[in-house]
Amino acid sequence: MNFLKTIKYPILKGIDFSGLTFLSPVVRLCYGEEPAVQIKKIVQWIIIPIIAILIFIFAWNQASDNIHTKSGRLPSPKETLLAYSAIDTFAEYEALKEEAYLMSGNERISELEVTEKLIAAIEPIVESTTEAVKTTKAAYAEKIEARIAPLDEERKKTDAAFKEAQASRKAALAEMSEALTPGDTAAYEAFLAAVKDDVSKTDEEKDKVRALKSEIDDIRDEKSKDVAKALYAQTQAAEELQFLQKKVDQLTRDNRSEKVASAKVEMSEEFATLTTLTGADAFKTARGIAKDEARLVKTETSDYAGAKTLWYQTRRSILCVFTGFLLGSAIAIPIGILCGLNSTFMAAMTPFVAIFKPVSPIVWLPICLIIASAYVPAPEDSTLMNWMWEDAWFLKNYDINPAFIASACTVALCSLWATLANTALGVASIDKDHMNVARVLKLGFWSRLFKIVIPSALPLIFAGLRISLGVGWMVLIAAELLSSSEGIGKFVWDQFNNGASDSFAKMVVVVFIVGFIGLLLDRIMIVFQRLVSFEGGAAGV
Amino acid sequence: MSFLELKDVNVGFGPASSRTEVLSNINLSVKEKEFVAIIGFSGAGKSTLMSLLAGLQAPSSGSVTMNGKPMQGPGPDRGLMFQNYSLLPWLSVFDNIKLAVDRVFPELSKSEKADKIHHYIKMVKLDHAPDKKPHELSGGMRQRASLARTLSLDPEILLLDEPLSALDALTRSEIQDQILNIWETDKRTVVMITNDVDEAVLMADRIIPLTMGPKATLADEFEVRMERPRDRHTLNDHPEFMRLKSEITQFMMDLNEESKGLRKNDIVPMPDIRPKDFALPTATPRLKNRHSQPGKPKSAA
Repeated sequence: MNFLKTIKYPILKGIDFSGLTFLSPVVRLCYGEEPAVQIKKIVQWIIIPIIAILIFIFAWNQASDNIHTKSGRLPSPKETLLAYSAIDTFAEYEALKEEAYLMSGNERISELEVTEKLIAAIEPIVESTTEAVKTTKAAYAEKIEARIAPLDEERKKTDAAFKEAQASRKAALAEMSEALTPGDTAAYEAFLAAVKDDVSKTDEEKDKVRALKSEIDDIRDEKSKDVAKALYAQTQAAEELQFLQKKVDQLTRDNRSEKVASAKVEMSEEFATLTTLTGADAFKTARGIAKDEARLVKTETSDYAGAKTLWYQTRRSILCVFTGFLLGSAIAIPIGILCGLNSTFMAAMTPFVAIFKPVSPIVWLPICLIIASAYVPAPEDSTLMNWMWEDAWFLKNYDINPAFIASACTVALCSLWATLANTALGVASIDKDHMNVARVLKLGFWSRLFKIVIPSALPLIFAGLRISLGVGWMVLIAAELLSSSEGIGKFVWDQFNNGASDSFAKMVVVVFIVGFIGLLLDRIMIVFQRLVSFEGGAAGV
Repeated sequence: MSFLELKDVNVGFGPASSRTEVLSNINLSVKEKEFVAIIGFSGAGKSTLMSLLAGLQAPSSGSVTMNGKPMQGPGPDRGLMFQNYSLLPWLSVFDNIKLAVDRVFPELSKSEKADKIHHYIKMVKLDHAPDKKPHELSGGMRQRASLARTLSLDPEILLLDEPLSALDALTRSEIQDQILNIWETDKRTVVMITNDVDEAVLMADRIIPLTMGPKATLADEFEVRMERPRDRHTLNDHPEFMRLKSEITQFMMDLNEESKGLRKNDIVPMPDIRPKDFALPTATPRLKNRHSQPGKPKSAA
């Protein structure tokens, strides 16, 4: 009980510090502090937002029912959720395939057995679901035909009747035209009126037939929920089967240890051949063996080369945004400090800031791409790139390439301005008294900089960094989309070009992922900002 | 032999055409280990005078010398205690003092420095809060931390710029006693600026009034010939204290009257006009009229 009491204020302080203030009434309520006040706050800050979210989902659902265009329709919340689980399943399958690729020995054999059993189990399901799709489709088609048949009958009948009427009107008009005598204005007027009447009647009749036709088409276009359900079940089963078959490939033909073993067998055979050869042939075969051996070494340490999952792309995007952000900050903070300290330098920098600040990422990106690929014309030969692919800590998992560097540079170029401006402001607006303290103490330039100027400007610098990171995250998605740097932006672009039935839904999933990560980054920066700010508040945690 | 000397000092701001003379013709000489109080009204240029003494500001003309040498810029040998504490808000009390100690005694070891810092913290009775940040301290505690930082510089001269003006009466007397205590045990030169006559009489050896600005200058000094230590409780009955207090107060009030007299010409006579009618014009019919004004097109419709 005492322990609970002692952690109450640390909990509340932590909540306040991380900006999750909506949780503090819950904690206070748990401690029984002014229940009425806390419940009012909970209603205001938790219940009301939840209701707002529910209203949003409902409105979204309604909108998705009504927004249909030629290129697609707005995915409903449910479809979005299904797309999310499809993305997740895909990632899971890739992970399992990778595991299978790396398996060897008895583990591989037993896994192969299990997988084959699973295939045997799922094959009938695929068949039955395919059958079910066929039968539901047929049943539905029958139902539709039954509904259409009377309408079609009616359409045919009306069409025939109208054609008959039109023919008889035409004949009557022909007769009338024969009977006309030039100069008889009244007769001509009557004739013209009859022709007009015929035209309008014909149009009317055509419209009626067209209306019937479109009614029939509408019925044909109706999507059956049963068919959709059957199709979904079939797709699920088929996808799982496909995955299992591919996994078998990874356990046999494509398996790493298997590849190594077969290569070894091949090499020993080659060696046997070599021992029978002399002269030029021997030389040729020996070289072949040497090459194979080098390849074998690579195979032994090779990684699974599968498709990139959205989670991998998200991690790579985050890595890219931080790379760009750190790069931008490394430029912006020193320049900002110099600007704040020296008005002449500030005057020199102002034109650059003013002109480059509004430039869109779309413009920076090609320039960055050209520069990045000019610096690394052949990534395979570059020592730095090879180091990053093979040895660099966790970077080696992320396949750093010129497109990545260009995206990061674009992020840096677009995001550094907020930090630059805030740093300059923070340094320029140092309390005069604090500078007087430095003068009285006769601090040198560096200790003045690190003991007075930077600590005093830090809260504003961090406010700038927070804006920069937010801008960088927004810019990055566009940059990746254009540069095809493996990341969330590329995922969106691939989905846009893919045109599968759930592509749109996957893009909507991305909207939420991007938003959520953006929120997270912002929260992290808020915590940092609070850590360095010194006046009042929860700065002491 | 004067320790700190100001000779014919003038300070002014702005271009020659619209120049504001803040201080003019200041002559001050402070002897070693002397406690001098400069008393003046707010806005008289007291803080400018202090900036001069600290070297934060150079005079427009005249000379400021310390130990016979002309003063060049500020330095830790003149411990300036700022009116608004000027503690660095991102550092704890300990670290604020450490900043000064690091600068003045770079040769000391880490533990020697810590001992020194704790010594000063104890001296101002802040030993319960060395790790507190300035915003967690009361005004009096902040001022004491500021005093400790100033003392830790081990300056040859202490410059106190209205150190106690922002404090309540109780805290004020407490810190007055502390400053006096420290001064009496460890005699050094002190120049204090204040606007409180009692404070000046209680603490100083000499009291020098600063006349009203602009063109403020130092008036004739009052010497305080009272034995130390002075006890604030019995002081109120001390005839010398009473005499000095009333004399200085009278002098300051005369100064005030005088400056008011100088400003009398500024009063501009207002014309003697009596407004005829304060009643509001009736609003509604006028509004209606505006809408139906003849000859205006009704474009709004």
